Amino acid sequence: MSYRRKPLWRILLDEFRRIEEEMSRIEDEFIRRVKEAEGMRGCITPLHNLYESGDEIIFTADMPGSSKEEIDLRVGENYIRVEAPCRSPIRGERKYLLHVELPVEIDPTSVRARYKDGVLEVVARKRLRGFRIRVE
Amino acid sequence: MKESYEGVEIVEVEPIEGEGFTIIEGFPDVGLVGSIAASFIADRLGMKEVGYVDVETLPPIISVRDGRILELIRIYRKDNLLAILSDVPIPASIVKPFSRELMNWIESKKPKLLVSLTGIPEPNRLNIDKPKVYLLASKVELGQRLHEAMGIEMFKDGFIAGIKGMLLKEGVRRGIDTVLISAQSHFNYPDPGSAAEVVRYVSKILNIELDVKPLLESAEELKLRLRDLMRRTNRMMQGVQKSRELELPPVYL
Repeated sequence: MSYRRKPLWRILLDEFRRIEEEMSRIEDEFIRRVKEAEGMRGCITPLHNLYESGDEIIFTADMPGSSKEEIDLRVGENYIRVEAPCRSPIRGERKYLLHVELPVEIDPTSVRARYKDGVLEVVARKRLRGFRIRVE
Repeated sequence: MKESYEGVEIVEVEPIEGEGFTIIEGFPDVGLVGSIAASFIADRLGMKEVGYVDVETLPPIISVRDGRILELIRIYRKDNLLAILSDVPIPASIVKPFSRELMNWIESKKPKLLVSLTGIPEPNRLNIDKPKVYLLASKVELGQRLHEAMGIEMFKDGFIAGIKGMLLKEGVRRGIDTVLISAQSHFNYPDPGSAAEVVRYVSKILNIELDVKPLLESAEELKLRLRDLMRRTNRMMQGVQKSRELELPPVYL
């Protein structure tokens, strides 16, 4: 049997694929948990994003088929919770439910929200405590 | 160093013979715009499944629709129009060899035009009612011609990551006329509104009538149905550095 050493690029490529498989496994586990929770509770976990921009946080959630009057949005210093009916259920899941822990504290009295084209957007000011320092 | 990749097999269940093919592809990426647009076109034109692409490294799953077993990556045909649709994102690690192999097959068909469809991430998408559509062509003259004929804005500066970028690159290298039609889109929410704008321009290129109203009317249901594919596509997009599309390429004065 002849032995041929793998070229370096091939080793790197194989390693890249191994990492990708591992990430894929973790992702699959995450998606399985989301889907099982949806199935058990009959609720849709909407796709969502959280951004930090300067002294604000911007949260969006994709919740097609609801209406602004029916969205129950609750906000605390460190969480956002959304519950809303969905009028186009795919597998009988008739409402959206999402609870997101925030990475920074916000001022709940500063929150603005809108619902447009099926996307909920929530903007809140971060609660910033500190001192103003003069720059020399 | 170049290595031929043997993990991709393209099977023509019905031999795809003829000439002057226009090929559209809608592999999943930003906002699933390409997937939604290409599927809508194939459906409205009543295109017929004539082949599939088998990829060794894709997970061992099959797609079932209305009791029918489907290949994950399918090739559709109507006359000299071909469409390539995929129910799965192409894993980041094989995007390059996959694109090369796919382009080998495309080249063998001597196509008139390859049309890639996609979304271009727009952070302010929520404030945009009618997404702008951009065109990028493998040849400047081709882009100019389509720009003048259709009034479509040219994509001037930026990065195109993933399979769309690789197909364009291969198009340039092999001298195959290739265009990318992209519309402003949500990055990781399915965006049928953006896909509808893409379809409007594709119908101009193909010189066919396509009413996008049914697409817009089923937007809500589509978004819900596609959120699982969007979740899986998100990670692939991280792997090919899709976020680069939000950046400008460096310019040295």
